[in-house]
Amino acid sequence: MTRGLFPTQEIGSLAKPRWQILGQRSEPLDESAKEELRSWDARIGFAAEAPALRDALLGGRPKDASPDAVRDLGALFGLRFLETAGLDRVYDGEARRIEMYEFPIRQMRGFRFGGHVRSFDNKYYLKAAVTDEVRLDRPYHVDEFDFVKGHARAEPKLPVTGPYTLADWSYNEFYLARQPGWKGRAARRAAQQEFVVDLARRAVRPTLSALIDRGCRVIQIDEPAAGTHPDEAAIVVDGFNAATEGLDAEFTMHICYSNYADLLPTLLEAKRCRQWAWEFANRDAPGHDGYAVLKLLAEYGDRRDVGLGAVDVHRDAVEPPEVVAERIGRAAKYLGDPQRIWVNPDCGLRTRNLSVARAKLESVVKGAALARAEFENPRR
Amino acid sequence: MIVRTGLTGPFPRSEALVTATRDLDRGRTSAEAVEERFVTTEAEVVALEHRLGFDERTAGYLRWPDLFRPFAETWEGFTVGPLTRWLETNTFYRQPILLAPPGRTPGAIAARLPLPLQRSPADARVLLPGPYSFSVMLDNRSGETEPALIHRLGRLLGDEVKELRERGFATFLFSEPQLVVRPPEGPRAEAVVAGYRAVEAALGSGTSIVWTYGADARPAFPLLDRLPVSVVGVDLAETEVEHLPAGPSRTGLGLGVVDPRTTLEEDPAEVARVVRAAYARRRPSAVWLGPGAPLDLLPWEPATRKLHVLPAVRRALSEGSA
Repeated sequence: MTRGLFPTQEIGSLAKPRWQILGQRSEPLDESAKEELRSWDARIGFAAEAPALRDALLGGRPKDASPDAVRDLGALFGLRFLETAGLDRVYDGEARRIEMYEFPIRQMRGFRFGGHVRSFDNKYYLKAAVTDEVRLDRPYHVDEFDFVKGHARAEPKLPVTGPYTLADWSYNEFYLARQPGWKGRAARRAAQQEFVVDLARRAVRPTLSALIDRGCRVIQIDEPAAGTHPDEAAIVVDGFNAATEGLDAEFTMHICYSNYADLLPTLLEAKRCRQWAWEFANRDAPGHDGYAVLKLLAEYGDRRDVGLGAVDVHRDAVEPPEVVAERIGRAAKYLGDPQRIWVNPDCGLRTRNLSVARAKLESVVKGAALARAEFENPRR
Repeated sequence: MIVRTGLTGPFPRSEALVTATRDLDRGRTSAEAVEERFVTTEAEVVALEHRLGFDERTAGYLRWPDLFRPFAETWEGFTVGPLTRWLETNTFYRQPILLAPPGRTPGAIAARLPLPLQRSPADARVLLPGPYSFSVMLDNRSGETEPALIHRLGRLLGDEVKELRERGFATFLFSEPQLVVRPPEGPRAEAVVAGYRAVEAALGSGTSIVWTYGADARPAFPLLDRLPVSVVGVDLAETEVEHLPAGPSRTGLGLGVVDPRTTLEEDPAEVARVVRAAYARRRPSAVWLGPGAPLDLLPWEPATRKLHVLPAVRRALSEGSA
């Protein structure tokens, strides 16, 4: 497929609309949820594709709106939300997933959930312990991909949590207990290697294979934990390579809130990765160039594409398109090649409300257009 | 062998508190209801600390968003910056940005200490950022050199200790992961020693604990042995016992024997064996046992469960040591 400069893409999950949350619980919508449904429908037109369900939700008849049908409508909402923002590659906002860790883990055996861990402020995530050998119940994300494929007007890009992140966000009991003696750093590392490769081979790869069989062509392996332990970069790579071994698709790797320099050049051994989709905007500030690390890719001679995080997903302030365009221009200069840049938010936008998320995505699209115009018709 | 036990960092929030704070963010509950839940949970942590026979109480520091936020929000010269990864973990802190030489605000930190500690300061363990880790983990745009900043933060924390001593607090734990993650050398190392001298001067008969974690402490031992503090703690999940310096220790020896990176429970007999080996190498005046790194890397239930190893080890050591 031929693309112009600076195509745009989504990167992860959106906040779930309130009407979807209430609808999935078979609860009647309150006035604010109804207004949310009406206003977004007027803006992006998704609910008109399921008029009977929309009327049931708005008419206070939850019995006529099955949770599965509401979930489908939530996925359609996410899809149209991203498409009508103007993105070239889209998904469904991960409308069916609880979040990126718990959902895949619940499709496996060998894990036990033990409660919430604070990520920051009042944000938490559930963390399971691996207490037995990893086993996959059945490949996951397949039904949601089928739905997206059947409804998408833009190219789908499916996000899958990578094996290293699944392992790092779990407590390692089973594999650590098998290590003899005191459970120090060396024992932890050996146990982690075993756990990651087991996850990659027994759970992630069979899932990727099933998705490819259904026609999935672009898959983003999410490894936000990759930078957590820089001395384990080789384990990240082993997990990626084991998960994608022998598979034919366009794989990208998303990493965020990490010191990428610490992972290089080891990370470049990820054989089948075609694009690095990284967060940059969060760290870009006056006096601190958040994009300077891209120079390293040029220095190492890496020629893969870059998914450029151009808007910060942890602040409500919306970056103007001119800021996005300037960041793209800077990145192109550092990489020495504008053809290799995709533009996206730093990470999933689920922590922002939908209005802010939409405004940031529109800014991504407009900023990419500004940069494109500048590169195609440079001002003298 | 004199053995003391206690927490070495924040404790996780209970599931009920997680729910309450989430509900508050989503507009589903009131600030008053969440405050009530904080009070209940702090009391539960204090009760747990009593039950386990800990020598001081922390009440868990459940309200602190991160180690630095109370300082970044109340001290002069700071603003609160971007989300930044907390060492090698999947938790984050808002990086303090220092725009001008820092200045403390009297009373501000005391007011943010957990309420049970404010009511009963004598048996409290006050958690503070160590001056070195503070200086490394903030974004210094003040124009001050790093050694000068480390020393200044040491003096300010000394002033903080002085004020808290006047309020009846006696035990202070300085969280210093960076001393082993990025061991300072040259002028920076000298500034660390000078900073802790300022703390020592303010401490009087109190107790100062420097707790390190996050990396192998071996490269930092020469500096750690010079610090004018009461106790130096190392995380035994990162540092091998046989790498502890041989020879008598001038300070108390802190040993992190509960690993918050795994839910796997420690074996009391194995921990006791390792503690005896460490004691034999260092012959300290006392051994201070606790979690190697802050326990809030675990959920409430496994954190609570794992802590039970500490009284079991204490018993094993007292039965086995003649």
